[in-house]
Amino acid sequence: MLPKHSKQIFQMKLSNIMKSIQKLTIGLSALVLMVIVSACANLLNVDPVTTIDGSTDLKSELSVKVALTGAYDGLSSGFIYGGEQSVYSELLGDDGEIRFRGTFAYLGNVWRKQILPLDASATTTWMNSFSTINRANRVLANIDTLLPEDRNSVRGQALFIRGAVYFELVRFYGKTFGDGNNATNPAVPLITTPLAAFSTGVITSEDSRTRNSVAEIYAQVVSDLTTAESLLPATSDGTRANKAVAAALLSRVYLMQGDYANARDAANRVIATNRYTLAPNFIECFREALPGFSGETIFRIPVLEQDGANSLNTYYSATPGGRRDMEVLAKHVALYETGDARASMFFTSSGRRLSSKWTDQYGDVPIFRIAEMYLTRAEANQRLGTEVGAKPLDDINRIRARVKLPALTSLTLAAILKERKLELAFEGHLLHDLKRTRSNISAALPFSANNLVFPIPQREIDVNKNLVQNPGY
Amino acid sequence: MNTVDTLIKQSTSHLLMSSVRFSRMAALVVFGVMFAFAGEIFAQVSGTVKDEAGPLRGVTIRVKGGTKGAVSDKDGKYSIATTDADKVLVFSLIGYAKKEVTIAGKSVIDVVMSLDVQRLEDVVVVGYGSAIKKDLTGNIAKVKASEISDVPVPSFDAAIQGKAAGVVVTQGSGKLGQGMQIRVRGASSISAGQDPLYVVDGVPLTAALGGFAGAFTNGRSVNPLADINPQDIESIDILKDAAAAAIYGSRGANGVVLVTTKKGKAGKTNINFGFQRGFSSPAKTLKFLNRAQYLDHFRRAAGNSDRIDGIDPKDPDSYTASIEAYIQEQSLGLYDPAKPTDLSKVPDTDWGAAVLRNDAPTTQADFSMSGGTDKTAFFLSGQLFEQEGILVGNKLNRLSGRLNVDHKVSDNFKTGFNLNITRTNNKRLAGDNAFSSPLQAVALAPVTPLIDPTTGLPTGTPPGDANIPVYYNPLVGINNSYRDYVNLRNLGNIFGELIIIEGLKLRGQFGFDLATQSEEQWFGAKTIRNSGLPLGGITNLNQTVENFSGAAFLTYNKVFDAHTLEVTAGTEYQQSRSKTSVVSAQDLPSDAFRLAAAAAKPTGVTASQTDFTFLRYLARANYKFSEWLLVSGSASIDGSSRFGANKRYGFFPAGSVGVVLSEMEFLKDNEVLSFLKARASFGRTGNAEIGNFGSRGLVSGDAVYNLAPGTRPSQLPNPNLSWEITDQANIGVDFGFLNNRITGEIDLYTKNSTDLLLTIDVPGTTGFATQTRNVGSLQNKGIEIVLNTDNVNVEGFSWKTSLNFSSNTNLVQNLQGQILRGGIGALPSRAQEGQPIGVFFTPEYAGVDPTNGNAIWYRNDTLGSRTTTSVYSQAKQIVAGSPLPAWTGAITNNFSFLGMFDFSFQFNAVIGNTINFFGVGQYSSAGSSFEDNVAVDQLNYWTPTNKNSTLPEARYLKANGGQASSRFLLDGSFVRLRNVTLSFNTPKSILNDLNIGITSLRVYATALNLMTFTNYRGWDPEVNSDDFGGNIAQGVDFYTAPQARTITFGINVGF
Repeated sequence: MLPKHSKQIFQMKLSNIMKSIQKLTIGLSALVLMVIVSACANLLNVDPVTTIDGSTDLKSELSVKVALTGAYDGLSSGFIYGGEQSVYSELLGDDGEIRFRGTFAYLGNVWRKQILPLDASATTTWMNSFSTINRANRVLANIDTLLPEDRNSVRGQALFIRGAVYFELVRFYGKTFGDGNNATNPAVPLITTPLAAFSTGVITSEDSRTRNSVAEIYAQVVSDLTTAESLLPATSDGTRANKAVAAALLSRVYLMQGDYANARDAANRVIATNRYTLAPNFIECFREALPGFSGETIFRIPVLEQDGANSLNTYYSATPGGRRDMEVLAKHVALYETGDARASMFFTSSGRRLSSKWTDQYGDVPIFRIAEMYLTRAEANQRLGTEVGAKPLDDINRIRARVKLPALTSLTLAAILKERKLELAFEGHLLHDLKRTRSNISAALPFSANNLVFPIPQREIDVNKNLVQNPGY
Repeated sequence: MNTVDTLIKQSTSHLLMSSVRFSRMAALVVFGVMFAFAGEIFAQVSGTVKDEAGPLRGVTIRVKGGTKGAVSDKDGKYSIATTDADKVLVFSLIGYAKKEVTIAGKSVIDVVMSLDVQRLEDVVVVGYGSAIKKDLTGNIAKVKASEISDVPVPSFDAAIQGKAAGVVVTQGSGKLGQGMQIRVRGASSISAGQDPLYVVDGVPLTAALGGFAGAFTNGRSVNPLADINPQDIESIDILKDAAAAAIYGSRGANGVVLVTTKKGKAGKTNINFGFQRGFSSPAKTLKFLNRAQYLDHFRRAAGNSDRIDGIDPKDPDSYTASIEAYIQEQSLGLYDPAKPTDLSKVPDTDWGAAVLRNDAPTTQADFSMSGGTDKTAFFLSGQLFEQEGILVGNKLNRLSGRLNVDHKVSDNFKTGFNLNITRTNNKRLAGDNAFSSPLQAVALAPVTPLIDPTTGLPTGTPPGDANIPVYYNPLVGINNSYRDYVNLRNLGNIFGELIIIEGLKLRGQFGFDLATQSEEQWFGAKTIRNSGLPLGGITNLNQTVENFSGAAFLTYNKVFDAHTLEVTAGTEYQQSRSKTSVVSAQDLPSDAFRLAAAAAKPTGVTASQTDFTFLRYLARANYKFSEWLLVSGSASIDGSSRFGANKRYGFFPAGSVGVVLSEMEFLKDNEVLSFLKARASFGRTGNAEIGNFGSRGLVSGDAVYNLAPGTRPSQLPNPNLSWEITDQANIGVDFGFLNNRITGEIDLYTKNSTDLLLTIDVPGTTGFATQTRNVGSLQNKGIEIVLNTDNVNVEGFSWKTSLNFSSNTNLVQNLQGQILRGGIGALPSRAQEGQPIGVFFTPEYAGVDPTNGNAIWYRNDTLGSRTTTSVYSQAKQIVAGSPLPAWTGAITNNFSFLGMFDFSFQFNAVIGNTINFFGVGQYSSAGSSFEDNVAVDQLNYWTPTNKNSTLPEARYLKANGGQASSRFLLDGSFVRLRNVTLSFNTPKSILNDLNIGITSLRVYATALNLMTFTNYRGWDPEVNSDDFGGNIAQGVDFYTAPQARTITFGINVGF
């Protein structure tokens, strides 16, 4: 027990403390107010740290190089070279050789030739393509930021990417080259400069583009790829473009245009590099880990665990990774000759026959194989009656020998096309080969049918009144 | 004594005593007023006002019918001058029953006031203060603790369903702890946030938690309110109109929900224990085909497809051959195509029943203690809540503790803190769109056995055939993977409140809401089919959200004669930082290893951070003249870091007026009408709930290619981006009849939102999909009616009814021609001009061509044209339904018998909304092109002998009416017996006789969602799919789990 006076002192002290606390509160509140008022301008200045502000980008040499990598990333997206477009080609071109049994309604619609303008097939392909084109255009507009020794390679790669994307766009959204008037048949808008609105923030009426013609797009594609071939280095790691990659794509572009001489020559340029050889066994073309893979492959899209799935594996394959959506029917299997090693590229998963080309879950996806170049050269030589690089029969027998088929002694165009179909089955060539050879999908479905051309996405029609929808949609 | 001079002296000295710092101006005003009354005969009445705990400060004392007033001081003392004409003094204080005392010549009147229970005297919490409901000029709906305490739900938002007019609460699904949707007076934004601002004890809550986007899951958000123990809540006040919400200016456009937690009171320490045990089952289920029906259906469907394609059913590529092989495969060979009629060995699995649980338990144990001295009061609570979901594998567990302390340092200085610590553990499920989402099991074939006889494990579990059933068996996932979410949430505030001089109060507060979240996802090797991971894998997600806020504001209260004035002014700052890191890795040594440390291959490592700040200056004045005129004005200037550098600040004013007609002479003594107030308000609120860097052009570094770093432009800039504005006008009446036995409110409002923060589509050819712009306008208008009646109130029995009704009309007025989409791609929800937000846009189904079984649609070439087509692409899309209800309402009845038994039940109704069932319908309907099991109600489809069906002929792998159309837009109206509670309160006399220290003992039983009346053919009409919901996409059902029907028994004991 404290003596009385000390208790008083204690109380006095306590009351002093109380008063101090009160003063402190007033002081603190005043301080808080002052800090807030004086600092207000700064308090609202918050910068992003996960991303960077666009105005600071593309100022350095490195920033242009990583922007190029970003453009490759766009090219590798599922809806461009990552597999979807390959699947669309097989589904749209199918006449009873496969059956789509998956739950993605938009893919079922492709298979039934009933694509809708709302579908992801039409929409996401468009969106991802133009995003990639913008990425490439940003690189092309900033080439001068690079060191002089890097400029050719980077420019060539960006042109290759832009050309590759436009080639897919013109094939899917426009009428087949030569079906009607290329100069008036609409394809897609042609954009070769980066978006100004990314710095101004203002989307103008000029951004509501009109569709350029099929001829204009093809001209740009040929120009981009020809320039790219001239600028690119001779070699690369196979995931980036080099001269041969650009030439391989050019051969496809010319073939699609029916320009057989140029297609032949481009294919021949690839073969003439002598850096690519047919894998000894057919299966090696589709297994990254097998020794023949790298020799066969001219260009591939890398697929790593870090990237997740690739669309080809997703739809064609079974567990793990695959959904078993693309059932292969007896009609297709019956096309193979006895002894054809390619006829063993099927497996049965719980009662369902599937192609085993895409069962490598994290395997790189080959985009151009040397086999295609032989087939293209053979077809073009055959059509032109030439023997540039090799006799067509030799090229075809090279392909046949690999799959343990006897050599042919004589050759017809039909035989070449059949060889091509079986060699490149489920690799995304079907629809385009049918279209360019003017082969009807079925009796009821001519190659020129409206529903074999993608609709312009509904969201795009809604937002850009200058776009005209394709007939039939 | 009775001289003017003395009186002035007294008044003056009183004022001086209160505060020497009181300005001379104020004193002069008092002088002036005093002189105005000079000449009358004065009598001074003084005294002390108290309640049970002691002296009451701030009680307003008024002369009834007169204009004079006074306020009690810190010791409860008051003094008021009266004239001979003054007969009665009226004592009032927020939270207490108004008390009237006849003067009758007394010079000292001491009063003891008691806490109030009457509705009109309710205290409502307003932003930065509180008010008596009767004095409000704005519209605030209050939900009290007693209305939500028995409801067995994890978060309070689920409990306020149907409790407040104009507040529509939708629990998206029966998955536990997921985001709920609350809309106050409709959706006032299209792309920016539509959720109200939540403020707990003055601290703005973090609105979004757990938006994890991992490798194997999608970004399903968790409910940020699930970390708050509903039992800690004293009241929930929902600020609906602009007058109420404008003080939260920038944040108030979607309404503000103020949560106040319980506080201790001086006096005896009360200890309460509560225990609840409940059992949940699906409120509604949907039947699918059994094995015989399934076989019959698919054989016919395959035959029809063969017929159409001209394929011989014996062809190995025929649809018929395919289906026979398929059935054999799906039955694990138990079906023999050679014996097509022998089903004896074929399984007959009810997959829906296998993934939905009945009688899933809920356990809740509560403890709370409150009490205090005249200096310190506290409230302490703890809770254990554990709920198992009606879907297998779903479980929520929460441990929470709260300590609220208020301490009076001195008569003028009060301080305190509120602290809430919670650990919430949610065993989450995959999103609705995932094959691994349990309810997707209904799509599996009934001919597939539940258990693979060769392994004894659920079919599809390796070493059994992983490709069977037709889709991934969610039960494999439930047994071999988890998504284990833990949130450590620390929520609280510290405040100091200083009375600088009598009537002038300074409050400073610092609030925090800290969330440390993690989600550990493990996928065992047996999930290979779903995860694609032959050796298993993990994803660990961590997110911290630090949300700090500070506020300092002054409140000045003054009563002078008939005038009551309250002025509040202050400033508030909030900053939030969210950091997320995600690690994914694969290839584990065995299923026993479940963390990244054991994973051979890291496959994803990412981290990100995002920040925002708000800075606000606010002011409000409330003025009351006599008891009948109420005027209020407020304004705030708000800045947000999200907007363009020159467009950051917005100004948000509001004004309102109320007239209490029943206090006016001509109505004052009306026998029937006991209360009548008319009010009107107009004000502006804002919305800034967009991405944190919405105005910036952004470049992302995530465009990695072949493990090399890459960049991509990811967002278009808009340097002019600024506030979305909502102007709201509200008129209303509050009324009371028959001594307030009937009370109610009627409100009419119009909310016009302009400069919408719109995520508008830009041409994809730009390389971008969207840009955020201030474009367009949107309107909500509606009516709200609240009616409360004391139907019977006799000795031993009372019956009360409360009813609320609201109707909101939403109209998108101007989007500059833009169309915005959401939801399911093939049957999109749209925002478009001239329509309410979220309308469904799709071809109009016309039924079946009776001659051939083809599905047909109206062409709608010209509006209203009834010509039909069987070519789907020829049918034009039209606006075919709105997900927004025409009206919602609820009625609650409370019965009390002998003061012991209470019985209440609540019905709520949502009428006139459309639900998009296409997500399920496209797969499970007659005419679907898939192998999914089909709902039983689809069996009566067109056949050559059943030509009048509206369901199209079944055709395997051919879309015949399975395409998106109005066929899958269903009426979602429902009336639900939401809540029934029966409770028994042990009478005090019995407890006293027992004399074992128990002061209260209550036992009760509650049923939630006991009955549902609806024509909806899906699972549950109260639905919003987690994977397809959004601002525009409302009312989408995608294998979405139904709500739980929960029956709970509980006991509360007080000591």
